[in-house]
Amino acid sequence: MADNANLLITGAASGIGRASALRLAKTHHVIVADRDGDGARTVASEIAAAGGSATAIEVDVSDGASVHEMKTQIDTDIGPVLSAFFAAGIYIRGVTGDIPEADWDRMIDIHVKGTFLCCQAVLPDMIGANTGAIVNMSSDFAVMAVPGAAAYMASKSAIYSLTKSIAIEFAAHNIRINALGPGPIDTPILKSGRTEAEYEKARDTLANSLPIGRLGQPEEVAAVLDFLLSDRSAYMTGQIIHPNGGQLMW
Amino acid sequence: METMIVTGAGSGIGHALTRRLLAENYHVSAWDTDPGDLAGTNDDNLDFCEIDVRDANAMAAAVAQAEEKTGKIAGLATCAAIYRATPFLELTEDDWDAHLSVNLKGTMLSCQAVLPTMLEQKSGSIVLFSSSIARRGAPQSAAYAATKGGVLGLGRAIALDHARVGIRANIVSPGITDTPQPRGNLTEDDMYGRAKNIPLGRIGQPQDMVETALFLLSDDASFVTGQDLRVNGGAGLF
Repeated sequence: MADNANLLITGAASGIGRASALRLAKTHHVIVADRDGDGARTVASEIAAAGGSATAIEVDVSDGASVHEMKTQIDTDIGPVLSAFFAAGIYIRGVTGDIPEADWDRMIDIHVKGTFLCCQAVLPDMIGANTGAIVNMSSDFAVMAVPGAAAYMASKSAIYSLTKSIAIEFAAHNIRINALGPGPIDTPILKSGRTEAEYEKARDTLANSLPIGRLGQPEEVAAVLDFLLSDRSAYMTGQIIHPNGGQLMW
Repeated sequence: METMIVTGAGSGIGHALTRRLLAENYHVSAWDTDPGDLAGTNDDNLDFCEIDVRDANAMAAAVAQAEEKTGKIAGLATCAAIYRATPFLELTEDDWDAHLSVNLKGTMLSCQAVLPTMLEQKSGSIVLFSSSIARRGAPQSAAYAATKGGVLGLGRAIALDHARVGIRANIVSPGITDTPQPRGNLTEDDMYGRAKNIPLGRIGQPQDMVETALFLLSDDASFVTGQDLRVNGGAGLF
């Protein structure tokens, strides 16, 4: 099913989304969606240069009108979306007492509402085709606890719960919905809000804290995504897979 | 060519995995007490070893033989297990010991048999088969449930002990699967009837478990260790 289907990836301009777009472009037409339109166009060009086919779209997943506009454009220019990876995300550090309400809202809107809106946008295509696969980006932090990440953890737990809920709701339509729960991956999100020195310190501390002794690469998450979107995982739905170097085992 | 070792290779998921690994051009050292569905199979890449997973010496010898043949043990999948449904108060000590020794100690001993070679190689991937019964329980399955819960802990401990040297260990937890095992305790109608409580509307096929094991054995899972992949059609999500 999944091969050759149009694959929509949000947050596809950088990090895990970008690595996933590049890998999956070998088997899919990839719709490279991101709030950063220029970044999305760059990734689409990289795919084209490598002989794949891709379409770049600018979208704000936390805005229903923007998601609707994206889907309308896809309907007009491309066709049904039977495969999707919703990876748009942000990270804002801060202890709970200091989190501004606006930061909380932004985190929840982009992660939870954004995933909900995007799932709602593509499910009708999948129901119509009686097949489909969605993977939502959660995190190890959906399950394990760390200090200073209340909003992020709450939002990633919500994505996992949402995933399980709709997995059961749409299983009868032969649609599978799973989540990825990566551990520390060497992506731009790790650098955000940090100086180069702070980033290197954080990277090395994290690497040493992991059983495997190194951070993951975005390509290693993309490989797990490939499995979850393909028929190799035809009997898996509502699950979360953790490419996390052994950070969390449960 | 590289070797994959499969325990419980004579039937069910172990048998399906063995066939698939042969098709993927691996040398397979296939272990079971009985060749079962592998009987009569002529394939230069298949070495069937009549092995009881409680026999550490026999497993060490089979590993040495495989190492001599290909020079590399790429992976191990532990599928050997027994399952006899018994009401809890009728569960005899002998039956308890039989389940524990094959399903849990046998899994531990098979891992011990391959790990020295994997440590020398600084590579290797181990896939341990647990069961959805480990987390969810099942009627009249106390001994089996205890062993499969034990496999979850065993798999994580092995993953932690060897993560830094490039060896990964993961777990597959199948839901009810179309193999001889459930047929020991269920009629055909009851077995297939379980599909009505499974969101994806069918019971598992050996192929579903094979694909998951292949993924975990492969480099696609290079950052995945200590994980439990629940291949169950969406039954009992938590």
